[in-house]
Formats: sequence, structure tokens, C-alpha cells
Amino acid sequence: MNRRAFLRTTGVALGALALAGVPARAQGLEGEDLANLEKALQATLGKGFKDLTPSNLIKLTMPAIAESGANVPAEVEVGLPSDQVKAIHLFADKNPTPHLVAFMPMKALPYYATRVRLAETSAIRAVVETTDGKLLLASASTRVTVGGCG
Amino acid sequence: MPIRTIVRLTPAKPKAGETFKLQVVAQHPNEPGTRKDAEGKIIPANYINLVEIYFEGEKVAEARPGPSTSANPLYGFMFKAEKAGTFTVKLKDLSGDTGEGATKLELA
Repeated sequence: MNRRAFLRTTGVALGALALAGVPARAQGLEGEDLANLEKALQATLGKGFKDLTPSNLIKLTMPAIAESGANVPAEVEVGLPSDQVKAIHLFADKNPTPHLVAFMPMKALPYYATRVRLAETSAIRAVVETTDGKLLLASASTRVTVGGCG
Repeated sequence: MPIRTIVRLTPAKPKAGETFKLQVVAQHPNEPGTRKDAEGKIIPANYINLVEIYFEGEKVAEARPGPSTSANPLYGFMFKAEKAGTFTVKLKDLSGDTGEGATKLELA
């Protein structure tokens, strides 16, 4: 095989690998713990994970990697009018207390920013309760080097 | 002991109709109740569990943070600038301590 043919075939192979890698990562989030999350969802909302509808109206911004789990910035923005949003909740799957915050926008815009503690690498969920009773979900995942709860 | 509370607007003087952020920083250890001290005893939980925002005396937003909030926490909110007035932020923690901070909204 000459150099040009080698480059062409490896290039194609790498491209295929990159394409195959994307859906694999989208299926299971790193640090997912649905059993722990389910308990917190039931306690907070009286609903389970299957009642949540993934929605691209919610923009959840989390860092991909956090050096320290003690201080991780989290930001959530909802693309709905304020009067349609009853509450915004944040959950971290792997935390001893997964429910991070409940925010009632009232007259504010449906936006909330905070800094949270993460016990370990975890999936983060933003759950939006709408006034017509829907539950919308957005997920992100943050890799934590040093935990912030212990 | 009162909780030291700092309130800031970005941009400081929004135009009418413009959205702006209201950021609150509190000086608080926010103990989650899972950490241990040097002797291995669990430090009791004491975190801010209520954040209320008032504009000209009317409640405009409320957040109920859980134990998993960082020390010296930040709370960020977004509003639309309509008229000038005073924002008051009231905080409360598990031990019953409260904090209050205020800032004036002036329109550019």
C-alpha cells in the first residue's frame, strides 16, 4: 500500500469511528443513576423518570469537567414565556440528596444560575414544571475529579 | 449572625425592555450534612434553603436550594427591565439565620 492509499483508508476509518462514537455517548450519560434519581423525583414531584419529556426548549449549561466538585457552575434557561413555567428543578443523579434546587420564577424570566456541589461524576437533570402540568427534561453530564460532599 | 449578602445587576443600568441578570452572592459555608470534621464527626447540615427576591415590596421570585449548594453560593436570576425600583433579596438558612441585601434598578 502506498502512502496516499494508506492515508485515505485510515482517514475513512477514523471518520466512521467518530460517527459511531456520537450516538453511543448520547444513549447513556456518564454518571447516570436512575434508581437514586427516581426516588428524588418521586419525593419532589410525585412523578417518575418515565413521566419526563425530553425537550430542546431547555438549555442546561454545565462544564464537561470540573476540577473540584465543591463548586460547579450550573445554568438553566427555558425557552418558554415566564407565565408558562411553574418551577425549574435541578437534580444530580449521584448526589446523596439529588434534588439541588427548586426555583419558582413568578415575575422573573425562566432562568436560574447557581453553583452546586457534586459528590462524583454525575448526570445533571433540569426538570421544568409547566403550568399545564407537563414535565420537561434536559440532561447534561459533568466529570468530577474531587468530590464536593465528603 | 446575619448572612452577608451581596446583590449585583449586570448590566448595571439596563435600558427599558432589556433583560438583565440579578446575581446574589452570600457568605455562608452551606454545610451539606455529609462532611466530617477532623475527629471524624459529621458536621451538622446548615445550608441556605430559601432565597426570596422582592421588587418594590412585591415578591417576584423564589428559590429553594437543597444541601448540594456550594459554599459561598451564587444565585443568578434574570428579569426584564420595566421601571426603576429597588430589589431586595432575603435569605434564610436551616439554623434560622437570615440575610438581606438590596440594590436599586436604574434605567439607562
